[in-house]
Parts: sequence; C-alpha cells; structure tokens
Amino acid sequence: MSAGRVNGLLRWALLLAALAVLVAFPLARKEDAYHQTVLFLIFLFAVMSGGWNIISGFTGYVSLGQSAFLGIGAYTVALVALQVHVSPLFLVPLGGLAAAASAAVLGAVVMRTRGHSFVIITIAFLFLMQTVALNWRSVTHGSNGITLPLPRWNSDLGNMPFYYVMLGLMVLSVALSAWIRRTKFGMGLIAIREDEDKAAVIGVRTSVYKVLAFVASAVLIGVAGGVYGYFLTFIDPRGMFDILMSVQIVLAALLGGRGTIWGPVLGAFLLVPMNEITNNYFGTSPGERLFVFGLLLGAVVLFLPRGVIPTIRGWIDRFREAKRPAPTPRPSASAAPRTAGPGAAPDLEEGAPLLEIDGLIKRFGGVVAVDQCSLFVRRGSITGLIGPNGSGKTTLFNLVSGMSRADRGTVRLDSRSIDRAPAWHRAYLGIGRTFQITRLFKQMSVLENVVAPLGRFAWAQLGADAVSGPEARRAQELLDFVGMLPLADQPAGQLSFGQQKLVELAQVLMLEPQLILLDEPAGGINPALIQRITDLIRELNQQGVTFVVVEHNMPLVLSLCDPILVLARGRCIAQGSAETIQGDRAVLDAYLGEGWSRVEERLEV
Amino acid sequence: MTRQLIQTVALGLLAGGVYALMASGLTLIFGVMNIVNVAQGAFLILSALFTYELWTRLGLDPILSIAVTTPAMFLLGWVVYRLFVARIRHAPASMSVLLTFALAITLEGAMGLVWKNVYRSVTPRYFASSFQAGSLFFPRAQVFAFLTAIVVLAILYVLLTRTWTGRAIRASSANPQGAQLVGVSIGSVAAMTFAVGVATAGAGGSLLSILYTFFPASHYQWISRLLGIVVLGGMGSLPGAVIGALMLGVAETVTATYISIRWAVVVFYLVILVVLLIRPQGLMGVRLREDVAL
Repeated sequence: MSAGRVNGLLRWALLLAALAVLVAFPLARKEDAYHQTVLFLIFLFAVMSGGWNIISGFTGYVSLGQSAFLGIGAYTVALVALQVHVSPLFLVPLGGLAAAASAAVLGAVVMRTRGHSFVIITIAFLFLMQTVALNWRSVTHGSNGITLPLPRWNSDLGNMPFYYVMLGLMVLSVALSAWIRRTKFGMGLIAIREDEDKAAVIGVRTSVYKVLAFVASAVLIGVAGGVYGYFLTFIDPRGMFDILMSVQIVLAALLGGRGTIWGPVLGAFLLVPMNEITNNYFGTSPGERLFVFGLLLGAVVLFLPRGVIPTIRGWIDRFREAKRPAPTPRPSASAAPRTAGPGAAPDLEEGAPLLEIDGLIKRFGGVVAVDQCSLFVRRGSITGLIGPNGSGKTTLFNLVSGMSRADRGTVRLDSRSIDRAPAWHRAYLGIGRTFQITRLFKQMSVLENVVAPLGRFAWAQLGADAVSGPEARRAQELLDFVGMLPLADQPAGQLSFGQQKLVELAQVLMLEPQLILLDEPAGGINPALIQRITDLIRELNQQGVTFVVVEHNMPLVLSLCDPILVLARGRCIAQGSAETIQGDRAVLDAYLGEGWSRVEERLEV
Repeated sequence: MTRQLIQTVALGLLAGGVYALMASGLTLIFGVMNIVNVAQGAFLILSALFTYELWTRLGLDPILSIAVTTPAMFLLGWVVYRLFVARIRHAPASMSVLLTFALAITLEGAMGLVWKNVYRSVTPRYFASSFQAGSLFFPRAQVFAFLTAIVVLAILYVLLTRTWTGRAIRASSANPQGAQLVGVSIGSVAAMTFAVGVATAGAGGSLLSILYTFFPASHYQWISRLLGIVVLGGMGSLPGAVIGALMLGVAETVTATYISIRWAVVVFYLVILVVLLIRPQGLMGVRLREDVAL
C-alpha cells in the first residue's frame, strides 16, 4: 500500500472514531444536559459556518447576513407547525426549502453586484427580514414572538433527538462542502473567487454558479433554523435575525480557515466553548459578549486572516518544500494536439471574415478608449494588432471577449452579432483570450488551471469530478504541448511570468477555440520562450485556429502576422501587409508624433 | 392635505441635512481608501454619548459641544487608523469590511459596558419648542441642527478644496498612484482622511443627541441609514451623499407620516437593494475602467 493510501485510510479511521465518540456521548452521559447542549450548539455553528464557507470561503463573496436564513427556516417551521399537528422536527426540511428559495430569489438579483455591494446588501437583507418579522404582526406576532409546543417525546430522551438531528446536519454539511469542493462546480467557484472576469472568459457561467452557491450556503442553515427554533421552543425577531449570530458564523469560519472543508467545524469547536467561557466568567450582559467577540473578530482578521487550518498547512508545506528539490521544466517535443475548433468546419472558405467589428465605441468617464472602431479579421489568419500605448487595443480585446460592454457598435462572429452574449457564452462560441499580465488562478495547480475552462454549460457537468476523465487527459496533452507538463502539480502562482504565459495559452486551448486573442504574448519573457510561443502559434494556425495578436515586439509582429491592423486613438487607421504598414504615413504619425514623417527616410523598423 | 405634505417634506429636508453631514465621513473614507467603514454608526453613537456627558455634567449646550466632540473624534479616528485600519489597507475588500465591523461591535460592547443599554437623549431648553411660519411648524432643535450641519459641511468643503491636505485627499481619491507620483504620501493622507471622516461623525453625533433617542445598539439603525444614503448618492461622492441624504430624509418622513413610522426604516434597506441592482454606481458615481488600476 502506498503512503498516500495509508494516510487516507488513517484519516477515515480517525473521522469515524470521532463520529463514534459524538454519537456515543449522550448515551454515555445521559444526565449531562449541559455538555449535550454545548455540543448541540457546536453542531449548529458548524452547519452555519459550513454554509457561509460555500458562498464566502469558496466563492469569495462575504455575507454578513447569513443568520437571516436561520431565522427564515425557524419562522417557516414554527408557522407551519402551528397549523398542522405534526412534530416540528419532521417539518424542518421545509425550513431548508424556504431558506433555499429566498437565497435563490435574493441571489438572482444580488449576484450582479460585487465586493462591497454584496456585503452591504447582505446586512440590509438581514435587517429587512428582522423588520418584517417585527412589523408583520398578524403572521409573526411581532416582538411577542412565537411559542412552540414542548416536545412530546419521552422526557427520558431529553434533548437527544435535537442532538442527533443536528449532528446529522453537521455530517451532511461537511459532506456537501467536500462534494462541492471536488466537483467542476466547486472549481468554478474557486475560479470566481480568484478572478471572476477571468472565470467568465474561460466559460464559467458565473451568474448561475453564484446563485447556486448562495442556495447551497443557505439550505442547511434553514433546516438547522427549524431545529434550533424548536429546541428553544420560542422564536422572536431579535433572537432569530441576530447580527451577532452572523458575526459568530463568520468568526468560526475565519478561525478554522475559510475555504477549507474542516475549517468551519474546527472553528465551531473553538468558538462555542469560548462563548460559554465568556458567559460564565464575564456574565451574560450583551455589552461584554459584544466587546469580547468584537475584539476576537478584529484579532483574527488582523493576525490570523487565513485561519488555523491553512496556517498550519502552510507550515507543513514549507517544511516539506525545504526537503524536496523543485522540479525543472523540460521542453517537450510532442506533436500538437488536435484543436477543435475551427475546424471544425473544413468546408468553410478560408479567408472569409471570422470576426467583424463595426463602429464600436467605449467610453470611460470622459476618455473615449475605443472610438468608432471598425475592422475585420479573416478566418485562418494571424492578424497583428499594433498601436501606441493607450490606443485601445486591450479595451478592444475586452469588448470582444465580453469582459466589458461597448457603448455602441457591433461585434460579429461568423456574421452573427454577439453583442448581447455574456463572456462565458462567447467562450462557448469559440473565442479564447490571454492577458497582457497573465491571469491564472494562482492558488490552483497548473493542471487545475488548464482543466478549469468549460466549452459549454450543462447542469450535469456541475457535479462531475473537477479533474477527471477526458478533460484531465486533454489538459495533460495540452500542457505537454506547451512544455509545462513537468510543472502540472505546482501552484500556478509560483511559475515564472513566461511559464505562466504558456500555461495560459494551454488554458485557452482547452476551450477548443476558433479565435484566440493574444495580448502581448512576448511581453516580458525571454527570447527562448518567445521562439517557443511563436512556433506554437504557427502550429495551431496551420490547424485552422485564427489569431489576433497584440504585440509591441515589432520584428515578431512583422514576421508572424499578416495582415497587420494599426490602432490609434481608439480607431483602426491602417491595415495591410508588413510592407504596407511600414510605409504608411498615418501609422508613422501615430507612433512617432506628427512631423516625424518628414524624416521618415531615417526610420529603421 | 397639502399643508401636511409641505410640512412633511420640510421636516424631511431638515433631517436630510443632518444625514448629509453624518454620511459625508462614510463616503469620504470610501472614496479615498476603498473601505466601507461599518463602524461609522458606532462613532456617531459614541459622540452622542460624549455630548450627553458634557451636557449632564458641565451643562454644555449640545450644539456648542461640537467644538469638543469633533476634535476628540478626530483624534480617536487617527489612533484607530494607525493601530488597526492601516494594517489592512491592502487586504481584499472582504477583510477590511470585517475589520470595521469588528470595530463597530467592539465599540458597541464598550459603550454598553460604560453607559448600559439605556435609551438617552439630550434635552436643552429649545428641545421642545418650535418656530412657526404660517401653519407650518419647525422644531427649533431640527432647525438649529440643520443649520449647524450645513455650516460643518461647508467647512469640510473648504478644507477639501482650499487646503493642501484637502487637495491631497481628493487627489488620492481620484488616482492613488498619480497622487503618490506627485509627492503625496498615501499613508498619511489615508490616516488624515479616516480621522476627518470620524470627526464628521463627532459633529453628527452631537446633533443626533438632540434629535433622536439613542442607545449603544442604535448604531445598526444609523449605519443602515448612512449606507442607504451613500449607496444612493454613489459611493465615494460627497455631492452624491448630500443629494442622497436629502432625498432619503424626505422619503423617510413621508413613509413615517403616510404609512407607518415602523416601516420608515425599511426605505433605506429597499433603497440599498434597488440601487445596487439597477445603478450600482449610484446617482453621482462614475464607473471607471478597472483593469489598469492596481
């Protein structure tokens, strides 16, 4: 048996042992109601922080209103329980349903916002829910709250049913997180966290992913809310839609390690006992608790921002790193892998326009970055796009790849307008792009980076293993093609700039694009790698991939590209072969300033 | 009918002027530092409690006490910045908002320990009387507070436009790298901005103390109001904050008069939701390209 397998088995054995202890505890210590309750609260916080971790840890959208779903679940279950004569414990799935539904609605509208806006909206949502619960008295009884019937089971059982249901929820929560983390869905979420625009460009349908993540983060909290409300037998707006609860949810996840699977559980095991200690030693006045939790949250943010688990893992990695020599990349001589795309249709006449841009305008405040730009790119060409700094080349790429929207004008691919298509849809249509400053997902491994792109969207694929099957094999082929296979398991952030450019190219090829936009492929990398990249471009081009290359390295552009388009002040001012461009007066003026053309005979390109 | 509407709108505008002062600090800090200072509401309440102490112990008029609370809060803001906020200047947005949130609840907890969770208000002699113009009534406290807020905002405006520090603050807000290139030390400007932002909460809190009852946990209600205003006006825009404050001041009093005072606060939550969805840059904000900024 390999060391890895032994490790895996050992881990499972430990987990099962821990679970067995938790299952046995109430049976062994029947009279110890206090510790049963403490454990119950630990499970509750593990469930809530686990949920928070999906939207905020994996996806990177911090929610300060996550406790709203606890309230929504609790109120739903309590209100239904008052109508039907079934034990509330059987109704708790309804709490999950209600929380999931409200997360879906809120998510669908809210997920257009980012960063600060999202945090603010989640706070507003929590307070909105609290206000509604306070004021909608006919249903919620306002601040009087709702009293639930006492449990009808044999009093010998005590709180055991609550205990086991919540324990089950915690196991479910961990399983859900672990499953999500392993799937393509989870990898898409991490990609969104690392670089959302980039994720969209490589075909991650970000809006669907984010809403699903929000729903996944809410559903178990809603179920737990139903259980918690019944456990308390009394719910009221201030207790159920409590901002302090949200703080503790965040605190537990941060403490343990956000973005990890076990972080929230560990955090809950740290937080709840601390909570108890605070209550026992400092009294239960809200002032003291707030003071302590405020300080604690601040301290974690300032001094332990990654949390316990990632910090410890970092130490272990550094220890291992020191003992192991770093692998060096070796050039590979493998043949080019099939690229799909274009090809896709050999009957298509070579030379017809593949990309047409018509009257495109993009303003940033008062600056017109792209101004009435019109141009076209022939199928099968390697088209160069040059122009002075600030002439709008990168903005044009952004408009074509869907990262930003034009104020006016049209972009057509294969004579179909793609103006309304979001970035991921353009990726499905076969537009791939690289970036001037590479934008790999730095926390992911090189292989994961290359597997991440998705050529289409399908619900079924969301649940598929992230790195598996034909995609994984193809990613390895592509990495081999660009000569980066030996580095497949390295975190992408540790590669040199030139290596990152090659990996990004492999990443784009995963989409099997028919059109690749390269933003300064040779910028800032050494001559040997430049040669390698141009060879790759030619090779792919021969298989039918069309290229648009933005580049400042003129000898490279002149030898590689035909035709060459020249952009100045957001407009295409010239196009033609290398010779035509070199003699074009407007081009010289744009590059060198007016007046230079008088001495143009001295110019050497 | 019309009289009631005019009266309602007038009261809304009076409240809005005070809101504008309170929101100016929040938007200023966001504009320069890209940090949402969730603790701004807690700073307001802290200043209101200071004002309460000055009034009950020394008999100092709450509006005059601005001369004490503003510098005191400026100092507090500067210390808080140097001790805590400076450390997360370059952290992602999510971490900075968590830190200011931690600050808010720590302050709330501390205030709860010192002043207990008791509702208070400051009631100087003019507290209960009104100016009368025709059939309209203008409570003196509201009018005084409004005028004071306008004066403080004007001073702030002059500081920002006429002094070197003010120009450095605005330059750092518009283009941090550019400002650094022409010799502005971003670090001290950020400290100055944070301190000025908290100082406006000093003045705002003193005014709050005569207009509303307050207790430590009221800061949630206040930060919700301020966020609504700043989001509506455009995060980071000072004129936007003023316009947003006046609009929401009116919207709140109209809701309170014609629907129910219990639903008035919902106006702010709904504004936050709707504005961020439909026009995330707010009324006066502009969208800039983000790919070149660091």
